[in-house]
Amino acid sequence: MPLAPSRTAGYNSPVPPVSQTIRVTVLFFGRLKDVAGHGADSAELSDAATIEQLFALYAARYPELAKYRSSVVASRNQEFAAWDTPLRSGDEVAFLPPVSGG
Amino acid sequence: MAKLPHDDIYELVREPIDAAALARNVRAPEDGAVVTFDGFVRNQSHNRSTLYLDYEAYESMALAKMREIGLQIHEKYRIHRVAMVHRLGRLEIGQTSVFIAVSAPHRAAAFDACRFAIDTLKRTVPIWKKEYLEDGAVWADGELPPAPAATPRAKPAS
Repeated sequence: MPLAPSRTAGYNSPVPPVSQTIRVTVLFFGRLKDVAGHGADSAELSDAATIEQLFALYAARYPELAKYRSSVVASRNQEFAAWDTPLRSGDEVAFLPPVSGG
Repeated sequence: MAKLPHDDIYELVREPIDAAALARNVRAPEDGAVVTFDGFVRNQSHNRSTLYLDYEAYESMALAKMREIGLQIHEKYRIHRVAMVHRLGRLEIGQTSVFIAVSAPHRAAAFDACRFAIDTLKRTVPIWKKEYLEDGAVWADGELPPAPAATPRAKPAS
C-alpha cells in the first residue's frame, strides 16, 4: 500500500513569521468596569506591546476611559506593574481604580 | 517565597463574618494577647446618609495581596497567628466588612501588626466599594496603590 504524502511537510519552516501577535486577558474593575461596559475582555496585540499600549487601545474604543489614566494602576498576572511592562501571550492584565476596601 | 503558618486564615467571603470565631481561632496557649480590628458599615459618608454598600474584588489578586500582608507582619513583628477576612457583595449598615485578628505572646506586637495590616489592606488590596446613598450610587474615593514607575531597563551590551 503506498504511503500517503506527508501532511506535515513544510509545517516546520525554519523561517519564523515576520510579525507575531499575542492575546491577553483584560480586566476592568470598579468605575472602570462601568466606563468600559464590561469587566473582562480578550485583546490581540503585537508582540511585546506594553500595558500603556493596551490601555490606549481601550481608550480609543471608550474615550471616557482616557480621563481616568492618571488615577489607574495596572497589574500583570496579579502583580502591580509599570505602564511600560511588555506583555506576553496569555498574560492577565487588570486596570484598577483607587482601591477602597476595608 | 516564605511560607505562611498553615493555621493563618485569609479569606474573601459573601456571608456574614463570624468575628468571635476568628478571634478565638487565632488564640493558642503560648499567646498572651489577641488584637482585633472590626471594620463595619457606617450609616453616612461625607454627610450623606448611606443605605447600603456593595463590595467587589479582583479576587485572585486580593487574596494574594492579603497573604502578602500576612507575610510582612510575620516578618516585622513577633506575632503568632493571623486571621484576615473581607466580605464582598451587599452589606447593610453595621455589618462587618473586614475583620483582622492577630495573636502574639505580648500585646505590643499584636497591636502594631494589626494596625499595619488594616492600613496596608486599605492601600493595596484590590477591593472596591460602591456606596448606595439616599440620592444615588457612587464609587467610594479610594487610594491608588503604589505601583512600579517603570520596568528596569536592560543595560546596553558593552
